Amino acid sequence: MMKKKSQGVGGTNWPITILLIIGCVTIFFPLYMAVIIAFKQPSEMTNDIAGALAFPSKWSFSNFAEAMEVTDFWNSLGNSLLITILTVVIAILLHSLAGYAIGRNMGHSKFYKFSYLYIVSGMFVPFAILMMPLVKQTSQMGIGNRAGVIILYVVFYMPMNLLLYSGYLKNIPLALEEAAKVDGASTWKTYWSIIFPIMKPMHATVAVLTALGTWNDVMTPLVIMSGTGKNTLPLAQLNFQTQFGTNYNLAFASYLLALIPILIFYLVCQKQILNGVVNGAVK
Amino acid sequence: MMDKAKGNERKRTFMLITIPILVLFFAFNTLPLIKGFIYSFTNFKGYGSYEWVGLRNYIDLFQDARVGRSYLFTFKFAIVSTIIVNVVSLILALGLNSKIRAKSALRGIYFIPNVLGGLVVGYIFSFIFTYILPAVGQALGIEALSGSMLASTKTAWFAIVIVAAWQSIAMNTIIYISGLQTVPEDVYEAGSIDGATGWTKFKSLTFPLIIPFFTINMVLCMKNFLMAFDQIMALTKGGPAQSTESISYLIYRNGMDGGQFGFQSANAVLFFVVIVAISVFQLSFMNKKEEQL
Amino acid sequence: MKKQALFAVGAGAVLVGAGAVLTGCGDSSTSNGKIQIEMVQYKPEAVKAFEQMEEKFNATHDDIELTIESPNEAMTILKTRFIKEDQPDIIGIGGDINYSNFLDSEMLMDISDFDGLADVKQSYMDILENLEFVPTEGTYAVPYVANAAGILYNKDMFEENGWQIPTTWDEFLTLLDTIQESGQQPLYFGFKDTWTCLAPWNAMACDLAPADVCKQVNRGETTFSEEYREVAEKILQLLPYAQPDPTAYSYNDACTAFARGESAMYCIGSYAVPQILSVNPDMNIDSFVFPANDEAEGQILNSGVDLLFSVMEDCENKEAAYEVLRFMMEDENIQIYLDDQNAIPCKEGEFDLPDQLEGMTEYIEEGKMADYQDHSYPSEMAVDAMIQTYIMDGDTDGFLEKFDTEWKRYNRDLIRKVQAYEEEHGEGGDES
Repeated sequence: MMKKKSQGVGGTNWPITILLIIGCVTIFFPLYMAVIIAFKQPSEMTNDIAGALAFPSKWSFSNFAEAMEVTDFWNSLGNSLLITILTVVIAILLHSLAGYAIGRNMGHSKFYKFSYLYIVSGMFVPFAILMMPLVKQTSQMGIGNRAGVIILYVVFYMPMNLLLYSGYLKNIPLALEEAAKVDGASTWKTYWSIIFPIMKPMHATVAVLTALGTWNDVMTPLVIMSGTGKNTLPLAQLNFQTQFGTNYNLAFASYLLALIPILIFYLVCQKQILNGVVNGAVK
Repeated sequence: MMDKAKGNERKRTFMLITIPILVLFFAFNTLPLIKGFIYSFTNFKGYGSYEWVGLRNYIDLFQDARVGRSYLFTFKFAIVSTIIVNVVSLILALGLNSKIRAKSALRGIYFIPNVLGGLVVGYIFSFIFTYILPAVGQALGIEALSGSMLASTKTAWFAIVIVAAWQSIAMNTIIYISGLQTVPEDVYEAGSIDGATGWTKFKSLTFPLIIPFFTINMVLCMKNFLMAFDQIMALTKGGPAQSTESISYLIYRNGMDGGQFGFQSANAVLFFVVIVAISVFQLSFMNKKEEQL
Repeated sequence: MKKQALFAVGAGAVLVGAGAVLTGCGDSSTSNGKIQIEMVQYKPEAVKAFEQMEEKFNATHDDIELTIESPNEAMTILKTRFIKEDQPDIIGIGGDINYSNFLDSEMLMDISDFDGLADVKQSYMDILENLEFVPTEGTYAVPYVANAAGILYNKDMFEENGWQIPTTWDEFLTLLDTIQESGQQPLYFGFKDTWTCLAPWNAMACDLAPADVCKQVNRGETTFSEEYREVAEKILQLLPYAQPDPTAYSYNDACTAFARGESAMYCIGSYAVPQILSVNPDMNIDSFVFPANDEAEGQILNSGVDLLFSVMEDCENKEAAYEVLRFMMEDENIQIYLDDQNAIPCKEGEFDLPDQLEGMTEYIEEGKMADYQDHSYPSEMAVDAMIQTYIMDGDTDGFLEKFDTEWKRYNRDLIRKVQAYEEEHGEGGDES
């Protein structure tokens, strides 16, 4: 754990530090419960409070092994990774372009202003209304599968990301492009060589927000990928719940398995994620 | 001449980028929206044949007690959650932004709930509400806690608020922290010369400066909570006694699973209009507030 | 410039192209010269039995390749696939409102000429017949297995305490009192899962209301307020004998509690037995018919078709589908399913019935059974949640009134259809 030195005048505010540390209990308690239940055996489950909070009698990974088997963990993980990564990559490439084209012109062109409002207002369309027509449409187009899910995510996140990119572009002076233009570079080339790299902080934000949303989403894969025999991690949990609900220990082991990849990712990229989120909020 | 050619090239490039994107967006957002709108005038079950029923679905919407209750619940839930989340995250942000030890570690910890999936978090809390809390309540002899919160129509909605808040506070806190960091240090110094401390300082100095962040949080919160689905699916499935059916949940449950696709499409159209209206209202209201300050 | 054009044309294509890579498995057409038959069945808990049957079928058939899918949330998935117009060849679903709806939407194939139908018990064919909204020519499903609902009891507890199996409502109440006085818990409910509210409801409705009450109501001959009052009143009387807060616990919780001997009885169907045994494999369970009627002769076993097979209208290989059905209906294959799922076969013949249903066998053999009444309730009306609400507030009049008004609203198109049919075919045409 890294510590930051308290800045400015005055020392550490210890009362607040202690209060905040105590407050962490609210974060860790549910996770603690999940961990101990995942390691216990059904016979160790009791209804009295001390027993419920106690450590398991032995730390055995048998529940995890079984949960991995029933949820087909590696395949589900693979599908989740594939969908999330492709969505993020496409979102960054496509949405930044959209943000560029629309953001640069919405000030002086009605068409672009309209395009902007048109796409951003899509943010308010509840998924529920799109669901059924989309199921039919994706299937007719032959993309009632992982590819369809990715396309849908790219479209669903377009409003938010367009908002972010075009907002960010306001701070990038036109002069930068003008210089390149004088050198005879095309707009297309200028974009990739100058603007795209400059928007790096925003790419991080878009990547984080899009990734968090797609990784945890249940509904879209549930309805779009049904019948393909493919699962994502959250989908596997949903199935698990209905099928093996009696065994809380097994269930919790599988919940933890679903949480662990994103937790690891978070711990590794914590700083970038937090910065990314902040970036998104400030814009 | 050269400039003009350049200008045309630039325009064409922008068009060539924008048009495919608009087409894509139209195909996977607007088109299904229109289709859903059309279905809302039918008694389509989702399969098989269907008939046109005119405005019947819309008339029914306003007479259906279950739909009415789902709107009431959703609003109650969204408003209470929005308030709780904003109050708690503002306090938390102030704490995390003050002179404390292990600042980044603490910030990191408080953000964890946000990265976890709503469904799984819901399952974990469901267990806590059913088994752990009642055990605690009984051990301490607290009557109110001795039953499962999820089992009573009086408390189940609040259990959902707790879980939803637990997850969303993280995001809002981060947004507030970034807001607080924009408050320049000298504002405080000027303030402390005037003798402003604690609450007064916050109310008259800090808060006005972070109003834009307050706006973002209110709008985001409200919109997300109005669309609540995962938590309800995991915690109560709309129960007990249909008291926690959110609009999204009802649309999914009866539209996809039950044979009410046409009717629930009408519900979704209404819901869409409501969400847009609220967001526009919030934004314009907040904008006015911001201008006043 | 070329790059731009490429982008413009290809923006969508990039996405779809990414899809092409991912799609991998497209339609499973006859890649190896075999006829492909795809079956989707809705009982994920029976996945092992079906895997066994699938393997066996494919080992014995050179010309047909059978794939059986047992997804979770199967009804949602099936309906989504119907929207996608990507129908399997055979579906295995329950004999409930979904079957009625699919039939009504003309999605199922008439299989009257399937030879295996001759071996099916007539009582189950009748139950299916009853599920048709309006009488339909032809046969659209093979009933495979049935389940029965009533009371499961802990045999050891009953023997230790010398409790007797009740045959009338009064005896049942006395038994509940006796158990409670002995300091033990008579019943356990898992009403958090709303559908479990239907278990006692259906079991009592069999004894107390006419089997075709919904049809009678649709024809405007009676009301639910009249027919269901006794059922509604009696279900409330059970609550004091269950654990406090029955709506706090789920079906899984209730199965677990019963399995651990926390209650002497559990009002649920035979389908719960595998679940209970998974918690406590050595448990000694038996069952009896729910004695809701005041007369011992008035009790009727609540039994419905738990799994039936229908061939979809769009199926291209009818003969191959029949071959699959024939295989499924072979005695030894039915037995595979029975052993796995504690079910009751719909086929005539000698099968090993699960011990846990001993108390109900007599009724099954005599055919003294009636279908679950909720099989006629439209699922979007959520009668289960209405019963849950009623259990919590206890307002009998309000509940029954709501039942009648909601019924009319949710079944409006259906009622119109039934009445049109009645007008066309005259009175009494419904007793086919």
